[in-house]
This record gives sequence, structure tokens and C-alpha cells, in this order.
Amino acid sequence: MSQKMTPTAVVLGSVTILAAVVFVVVFWPYQQADYTPSEIFRYRTEAEAAGRKIYIANGCVYCHSQSIRAIDWGHGATRIAQAGDYVQDRPILLGSQRTGVDLSQEGGEHPDDWHIAHFINPRYTRPNSIMPPFEYLGMEKIELLTAYVQSLGMKAADKRMARQRFWKEESIRAYEAGIDENVRWLAEIVPQGWRDIPNPYAASEYSLARGRMIYQAFCIGCHGPVGDGMGDAQPWIYPPPLNFTILKGREISGGIIYYQLMNGITGTAMPYFKKDLESEKLWDVGNYIAAYFINEVDSNGPPRGIDAAYEP
Amino acid sequence: MAATADTIFDQHLTARAFSLTSAFWFAFATSIGMVAAGYLIAPDFMANIPYLQFGRIRPIHVNLVLFGFVTPGLLAAAHYYVPRLLRTDLFSQKLGLMSVILWNVAVVSAVVSLSTGHSQGREYAELIWPVDMLVIVSFALVVLNLLMTVRRRKEPVLYVSIWYACAAVILTALTFSLGNVIWRPDTGALLGIPDAILLWFYGHNVFGLLLTPLTLGLAYYVIPIVTRNPLYSHTLSLIGFWSLLVVYTHIGTHHLLQVPVPTWLKVVATVDSVAMVIPVMVFLINIWYTAKGKLGEIHADIAGKFIFTGTIFYFFVSIQGSIMALPQVQRITHFNNWVIAHSHLGVLGFAGLSALGGLYYILPKITGKPLYSRFLADLQYWLVLIGIVGFTVVLTIAGLVQGNSWFAGETLYRTLPEIHSYYVVRLSIGLFIALAAYIGLYNVIRTIYFNPGEEA
Ligand code: HEC
Ligand code: HEC
Ligand code: HEM
Ligand code: HEM
Repeated sequence: MSQKMTPTAVVLGSVTILAAVVFVVVFWPYQQADYTPSEIFRYRTEAEAAGRKIYIANGCVYCHSQSIRAIDWGHGATRIAQAGDYVQDRPILLGSQRTGVDLSQEGGEHPDDWHIAHFINPRYTRPNSIMPPFEYLGMEKIELLTAYVQSLGMKAADKRMARQRFWKEESIRAYEAGIDENVRWLAEIVPQGWRDIPNPYAASEYSLARGRMIYQAFCIGCHGPVGDGMGDAQPWIYPPPLNFTILKGREISGGIIYYQLMNGITGTAMPYFKKDLESEKLWDVGNYIAAYFINEVDSNGPPRGIDAAYEP
Repeated sequence: MAATADTIFDQHLTARAFSLTSAFWFAFATSIGMVAAGYLIAPDFMANIPYLQFGRIRPIHVNLVLFGFVTPGLLAAAHYYVPRLLRTDLFSQKLGLMSVILWNVAVVSAVVSLSTGHSQGREYAELIWPVDMLVIVSFALVVLNLLMTVRRRKEPVLYVSIWYACAAVILTALTFSLGNVIWRPDTGALLGIPDAILLWFYGHNVFGLLLTPLTLGLAYYVIPIVTRNPLYSHTLSLIGFWSLLVVYTHIGTHHLLQVPVPTWLKVVATVDSVAMVIPVMVFLINIWYTAKGKLGEIHADIAGKFIFTGTIFYFFVSIQGSIMALPQVQRITHFNNWVIAHSHLGVLGFAGLSALGGLYYILPKITGKPLYSRFLADLQYWLVLIGIVGFTVVLTIAGLVQGNSWFAGETLYRTLPEIHSYYVVRLSIGLFIALAAYIGLYNVIRTIYFNPGEEA
């Protein structure tokens, strides 16, 4: 039978098979492709398109996917990807590894200053990050990259960005009006119910130890090792990270801290942590800040609920 | 003309040049792999050196292992066994040498362009248009040389290795051009979802139509010789060859199971990824039955040892691949280090080990002298073997940690500290592989140029 495998048979046979396969699994889907834009679709601006080129040149695609799956819960998992999201993408940047987070809904997650600090060095805003620093790009390119990242999610991102811009102005106004006004404003954005609650967990040794671990893994780059807001990210962030030591005697309850940690402070670089940290961990880091930096702990005070089973 | 070492030397210029190419880029590529692995542990260690940044060197690592190390290694062997099986000489050593030189120019250009940020951003097809052209011309020269050799053959019957070698280079020249969208020099890409479909058709066929056929061709050549057994079944080789071409080529969409591509494509890809057991097992049964009862001979022959071990990894990586193509499994395994384990198992464990075996098989034949050091080759075998098994175990565990945590609703940031220690172990194990690569380079250079050994 091997005698029939003449050079012609091998070459023509294999090329024919390849052609047939290409026709069915490449050309046909290409012909049938539906380029109807999805409901969030919009075209990129020139700056955003330039940022995308920088994204490609620096291989962000090897660590970041841009495609949310039906089974995802994490970052950006508010919307499952649709074919109509990609109709201006040449090349498409789906990615095949999630060494970093999915970025398809990144736009408006954070304000621009957070991204700039993060690109200068990701450890500034995310102490445990393993993303490479991109300071070498220079400020101009980092800004273009930021414009691109803020456009991810298209119309959905634009909505979030509008929110970021509105609250950015508010937070700057409060910050520039001085410490008293800023602290008042920060407390005022927290609903009254939360402001009245003390930290329900005792500031035990155990709670503080956990709080310290969390502080070092999540907060230290901005608020700094001694809580004075002088972390490495500080030069790039405005309003700058809060100096906790000014909060003493200003009636900052455990509830205020908890609420700000949970939801973040939109418009400022202060991120939300409700997806990263479970409730008790947020209370623990609240205890830690209160005990070590503010020097004023309201934990487990009245009105008290039931004691936690494990507390001594 | 008596076959003195000198004439043998001249006869095998191309194979020798491809051998050196392979050995050199193996060492270079693993060094780059070490830097990349280092980045994932200490991202500030080499901070702000643009051309060493992870996102730039990762594609360098991958392109180098594929087109610097494995493919040239397998081609070196092909340039030896194709003429030999056809009872003729290679069509032209000059043409061959040109193809090797151009090949290396292409690889160097790939390194330079990627490290300076000239990329088209499509995994496995990131090279910019001018570099694509270099690759295509190199391939074309190889195709020309091999086909002309076939034309000048004195042996009427083509052995299965010839089918595989010819199909691999011809089809890859075609899929490379198609996959890199060479008619669009500026972006090298289609628009939207079809771009992803085309990309993974091509990316998948780098393994399916280049590495796999070249490796199988080599195994079909070496294993019967080493075991001194006739090939178990020529019918099976026929079935294996054609079924590989039909099935392997059309399942690239199993890389896109969680993306909005047409459902029928996903169904076809999943079902026929499972059907891949046919070409895989047909080959393995054929080779393993050929080797039956001769494991001692295989163990005694360094080339046989490498290549036979490669076939065992072929079994594992393929069975794993078929399982990974199931949507239920991919919920956990996709997007994380599980896939990286699979990649190293396939490209290093299967194709890479076989390519090294190919080098050790041909080196004595093409230099007319024994291998400089059998001990070093054995050492390399064990280092790579430990390395690849270690990689597989560690990266698979890391992948499971990531996949299961995400599936349970944990955010990615929280899984970074969880996988840190696995990254450290991976880097340490990488040392074995990098060391093996340098030992191999030394052995190859000594065998070719400074070989004190007696003429065979
Ligand atoms: C080595 C892999 C790696 C590379 C390369 C990389 N990143 Fe990241 N990236 C990460 C990791 C890990 C995280 C999660 C931790 C963090 O937030 O820093 C991340 C987070 C991010 C975030 C923040 C997401 C959020 O809201 O929390 C953005 C934005 C981002 N990366 C953009 C980029 C861009 C743009 C590039 C290319 C210039 C890039 N990354 C290259 C690994 C990488
Ligand atoms: C990227 C920088 C950044 C990180 C990381 C960060 N913060 Fe903030 N934080 C800020 C900024 C900026 C503000 C608001 C400053 C302002 O508006 O004056 C703020 C405000 C706060 C407040 C508000 C206090 C009040 O009176 O309402 C609390 C509490 C706080 N941060 C705690 C934390 C904790 C705990 C973490 C870690 C889990 C953390 N922050 C991480 C930047 C950061
Ligand atoms: C029957 C055989 C095989 C099947 C069914 C198979 C299946 C798969 C699947 C489903 C993936 C995608 C994983 C994911 O992203 O979730 C994958 C990835 C991969 N496979 Fe295989 N595989 C097979 C054999 C091989 C062989 C022999 C090699 C190497 C020579 C190989 C190399 C790779 C590589 C490098 C990737 C990673 C692609 C990327 O960058 O994402 N595979 N394989
Ligand atoms: C010193 C030894 C090596 C080290 C430290 C190393 C490290 C790495 C790293 C860090 C990556 C990127 C993974 C990620 O994005 O998370 C990678 C990818 C890859 N490596 Fe290696 N590597 C080594 C040797 C090799 C060898 C010898 C081969 C093949 C012969 C190989 C083939 C690949 C392939 C195909 C990929 C792409 C995987 C994918 O996209 O799915 N590596 N390697």
C-alpha cells in the first residue's frame, strides 16, 4: 500500500486536506461572521487607539485576557463578552493567560491617577502584584495607555468614567478646603446607619495581627508604613492618600472605616475591597488602623451585638 | 570515493548547521525562560529594562523554543534521513546552508524586533511582516531542497518519515502565511472574532502540522533502526498519517471554547479533540510494537532513549490535551498554569526530547566520529527529564490552585501569594533544563569541531 504514496499523492493529498479544512473551519466562519456591534460598543478615540498600540508593543496581552466568561466571578465579571464587543479589534486581544486580571471592563474601575501610579510601579497601589513596572515608557505613553485602559468596556466604561470625574472634582474640592472640611466630607458620604456603628469585633491581638497582614498586602503602598499617607504611590495620587493620624478625635467610627473600605471612595484612588476581602477581614484592618495610626479604638463598644464565639 | 571524515563532513553541511542552530538557541531560549520565570517572582529585580520586560521576552522565549530550538533540531535530522531513505544526496548543500543562514537571520530578527517592542500582538504570530517574510523564504528554501531531493531519489518507495517531513514543511509554509495574514503587512490580523479563529487555527497547527509530524517522522526512522526491528505495520503508518492531517488541522477552536465563537465550531473542536486519540494511538501502537522486547537496545542507545521517552510524553500530553478540550474541564484549567504545564510537556517533553534524540542520532553519522561524550548526553537526558516532570507537577498544581480559587469566587489578586512558592520551585527546576541546554551545546560543539574521537 505504501507504494501508492508517491510524492504527488503525499503533496497533493495533504494540501487538499488542508485546503478543505481551511475552507470549513476558517473561511466559512469568516464569511458568516456577524459584525453587528453590541449594545456597549463605541469606537475608540485617537488617544485610546494609540494606547492600544502601546499595549500590544509591551505584551500586556500575555498576562491579561479581555474576555469575560459565563463562569467568571472576579474582576469585571459584570458582563459576559459578546462577539459584537470586538468588531473594531484588529488584532483581537483575547489573551490566553490570566497572570493578571481580565481587563475587558477595566474602564472606570479606578480614576486615572490610580492607573498612573500603578503603571509607574504596580507595587505602589497593589503591594502583592507581580506585574512589571512600566515607568520606562515615560509619562506621555503612560497617559495614552491609561486612556486606552479607561476605554475598556466602551459605553459601560464611559458611564463609570463620568462618575469618577464627578466625584474626583468633589474630592479635590473637599481636600483643598483643608483638613476639617475633608474629614467632614469623607464622613458625610457614608450613610448615617454606618456612621453610628462601632467596630463589632474586639481589637484583640488576633484581630490586629490579621489587620496588619492585610494592611501590608493591600494598603501600605498608598497610606504608608506608618499610616501617614506617605506611601510610594503618594506623589502620583491626588487627592493624596489619607493621613490616618489626623483622624484622632474626629469621631471616626468603625462603621465609617468599614464602609469606605467596602465601597472605596469613587473619584479618589481609594479602591473598593469588597471583592478582595471578606467582611471580617475588613473589620480587622479597620481595627488595625484605629489602634495603630488613629490611636482611638471604638471596637466592641455599645451598641453591642452578640459576642463572636471564638473571642476570649 | 572513500567516506573519510572530511567528505562526510562536507556531505552534511546543512544537517550540521541546523544542529548547531538548534543547540545554540536551546541554550539561549532557556536563559530567556529563566528571566521570564524570574519576573513572575521578583518583578522589580530587572525593573525598567524595556527589552527584558516580561511581556516582551515571553514571546521571545516561545518563538525561540519553537523556531530556534525544536524545529531546527528536527530539520537537522530530516536533512539527514530524507536523502538517506531515498538513497541519494541532499539536492544542494549550498541551498541548504543558505536556508540555515536565512533561518538564523529570521530568528535573530525575531529576538531583536520583539525585544524592541515591534510586535503584532497575536500569540504565536507576533512577528512583524518583514520577519514573517524571512521565515517564509527560509521555509520555502527548505521545501525546495527536500522536494528536489525526493525528485532525485534512487529509491522508488517513500518511507513514512518522508511523508511526514515533506508534509510538515509544505503545510507549515502555507499555514504560516495564512495565520500571519501576510496580505495585511501593517497589522497582520483580521477583524474581531474571525481573527481569533484564524489565529488559533494557525497556533494550534504549529504543534499539529510542524512539530508533531517532524517528530513522528523522526521516531519512525530511528526506532526501527535502534531496535533492529522492522516497522510493526505500514498500514498503521498510513492510517496515522492521513488521520493526523484530517483531525489535527481542524480543532484549533479548542483554544476558544469560552469565547463567543460559533457554537458548531466549538462542538467540532471538542468532539474531534477527543478523536485525536486515533492518530495518536495509531502512531504509538505502531512504534511501541516495533520496539517490543527491545527496551534494552533503546536504553543502550542515547538517541533511542531520548526519542522513545518523547513518545511516552506524546502519549501523556495528547491524552491530557483531549481531556483539556472538554468544556467542563476547561472551566478549571483554562487561563492558568495548567496550560503552561501542558505546553512544556508537549513542546519540551515530546518534541524537544525527540529533537535532542535526533541530534544525537545524526551527529556521529554527519561527523564520522562518535559523540564527544555519551556521559554528558546521558546527564542532559536526566536533567531534562527531571526538569520536565518537575515543571509538569509544579505548574499543574499551581494551575489547579488558580483555577479552583477563581471558580470558587476568589479574586485573582488573592491567588497571587498562593502561587508564589510554585513559581519559585518552577524557577529552580528551570535551572536543570537551562543547565541541560548548555551541556548539550558544549557536547554538540565538541562533537563537531574539537572531537578527539577516532573516526568511525
Ligand atoms: C507579568 C504579567 C503582567 C504583565 C506583562 C502586565 N500585567 Fe497588568 N497586572 C498583572 C497582575 C498580576 C495584576 C493584578 C495585580 C495588580 O493589580 O497589580 C495586574 C493588574 C493590572 C491592572 C489593574 C486591574 C485592577 O483594576 O485592579 C491594569 C489596568 C493592568 N494590569 C494593565 C496592564 C497593562 C496596560 C499592561 C501592559 C503595559 C500590563 N498590565 C502588563 C500582571 C501583568
Ligand atoms: C491607591 C491608593 C490607596 C490604597 C491602596 C488604599 N487607600 Fe485608602 N485612601 C486613599 C485615598 C486617596 C483616600 C482618600 C483621600 C481623600 O479624599 O482625602 C483614602 C481614604 C481612606 C479612608 C477614609 C477615611 C475616612 O475618614 O473616611 C480609609 C479608612 C482608608 N483609606 C483605608 C484604607 C485601607 C485600610 C486600605 C487597604 C485595605 C487602603 N485605604 C488602601 C488611597 C488608598
Ligand atoms: C491530542 C493531542 C492534543 C490535544 C487534544 C490538545 C489540546 C489542547 C487544548 C484544549 C489546549 C488549550 C488549553 C486552554 O487554553 O485551556 C492546548 C494548548 C496547548 N497545547 Fe495542546 N493538545 C494536544 C497535543 C499537544 C502537543 C503534542 C503539543 C506540543 C507539541 C501541544 C502544545 C500545546 C501548547 C503549547 C498549548 C498552549 C497554547 C497557548 O498558548 O494557550 N499540545 N492543547
Ligand atoms: C529554563 C527552562 C524554562 C523556563 C524557566 C521556562 C519558563 C517559561 C515561562 C515563565 C513561560 C511563560 C508562562 C506564563 O506566561 O505564565 C513559558 C512559556 C512557554 N515555554 Fe518555557 N521555560 C523553560 C524552557 C522551555 C523549553 C525548553 C521549552 C520548549 C522546548 C519551553 C516552551 C514554552 C512554551 C511553548 C511556552 C508558551 C506556553 C503557552 O503560551 O501556553 N519552555 N516558559
